[in-house]
Amino acid sequence: MTRRYRRHPELRLTALEGEGVALHLGTRRYYTVSESGLDLLEALERPRSLEELVAVLTSKYQVTVAVAADTTRAFLDRGVQAGVLLVEERP
Amino acid sequence: MRPGIGVTGDDAEVARWVGAWIDAMRLEPPAPLSIDVRIVPALGDDGDARTPFLQPAVEIRSGPPDGDVRVRWLPGPARARIAGGALTAVVELGAAALADREALAQTFLSVVLILLLRRAGWHHVHAALARDPRGRDWLIAGNAQSGKSTTAALLATWGWAVGCDDAAFLVRRDAGVEAVAQRAPVALRPAGRALLGLDGGTAARGGRKTVFFPEDLGGTWAPRVEPHIVVFPRIEGDRTSAAPVPAREALAELVRWSAWVVLEPDLAQEHLDLLGALARQARCYRVALAPDVFRHRDLLMELVP
Repeated sequence: MTRRYRRHPELRLTALEGEGVALHLGTRRYYTVSESGLDLLEALERPRSLEELVAVLTSKYQVTVAVAADTTRAFLDRGVQAGVLLVEERP
Repeated sequence: MRPGIGVTGDDAEVARWVGAWIDAMRLEPPAPLSIDVRIVPALGDDGDARTPFLQPAVEIRSGPPDGDVRVRWLPGPARARIAGGALTAVVELGAAALADREALAQTFLSVVLILLLRRAGWHHVHAALARDPRGRDWLIAGNAQSGKSTTAALLATWGWAVGCDDAAFLVRRDAGVEAVAQRAPVALRPAGRALLGLDGGTAARGGRKTVFFPEDLGGTWAPRVEPHIVVFPRIEGDRTSAAPVPAREALAELVRWSAWVVLEPDLAQEHLDLLGALARQARCYRVALAPDVFRHRDLLMELVP
C-alpha cells in the first residue's frame, strides 16, 4: 500500500514573503505557515507520498534526507490532525 | 435603477427606505448590484441543512451543494439569498422585521450588503480608515472593543481625514490594494465620548451610542485610501506604544478581522489574496493605546514614522 497525502479541497493558501497563511473554509480556522510548510502545502495540491515531499525540501534547502523526513513527518502529522490534509492509501 | 446598487421591491415605501439607507453609504461598486425586497406573510423553512456561520444576530449558509449564500436574521422574520454568481440579493421580510428598522439595517441588511459587494470584488474588513496630515493612509483593524471608533473620532478632532470607523472594503487597484469607506458616522460609546470630551452628536443604537461624522469633529471624509500603514490597536497600559508586526502575523490578524473570508469558496481565494496583498503593501504595527494618546496629537505619527 502506498500512502499519499493531499490538501483538503477546502483549504486556501496565500503566500507572503515566502511564508503564508492557510485558511480552512470548512472548519473556518486559519494557520500561519512557515516557508517550508508553504512549500509542502503547495506541493500537496495533488496527492504526494512522503518520499516525494521529502524531495521537495531537499531540493530547496540544504538539509539531509533524515532531517527533511523528520520535518515532513511532523508537518504531515499536524496537518492530518488539524484536518487540513487528507490521507489516501492505494495498492 | 441608481448607479451602483439598485433597490426594487413589492412595497414602494420599504424599497425607498432601503434605497435611502444604501444611498447614504455612498458606495459605488464597479458592477451593477441590486437588492430585491419582498414583503412576505411568513417565512417558511427553506430546508437548508448546511452548517451555519454564526455572526451577531444572523446565521449564514453558503457553499456546496447550492453555491448560493443565505442569510437569516435571528431577531425577526427576515432572510436573504444571493444565488451563485448572481449580482442580486433577494430579501424577504415579514412585517414584524420592520418594527425596528435600525436594528434590521445594522445587523441584517448590512450583512446582505457585505455579501453582495463581494460579488463585485469588494471584500469587507472590520477597520477604520484615515489619512494623516502627511498624506499617509492608515487602516486600523480590530474588533468592537479595540478602540477603532474612539481612535477614528480622535483623529478627526485632530483634522485627519477619516473614512469610516468599522466597515471598510478592500479592492484590487492596479498592483495594489485600496480600501473603500462606507459613509457612516463614527459611533462612540459613552466612555469613548467622555474620553474625547465631546458634546453633541446624534443618539443611535437605541441610545447606546452617540454618532458623529468626521466633519462634525473637525476632520474631513476620506472615501478611499491606499493603506500603507496597518494598525492593530488595543487599549492597554499607561503609555501608548507601537511595535512592528511581521508580515505573516499581520496577514493572520487581517484574516481574523475579515470574518467573511471563509464564506463562498469561489470568492474566498480572492478575498484572502487581497488580505495578503495588503499585508505586503503596508507596514503593520500593534499599537497599545493609552490615555496619553489623547494629550499628544502627533504621538501616533511619531510612533509610526
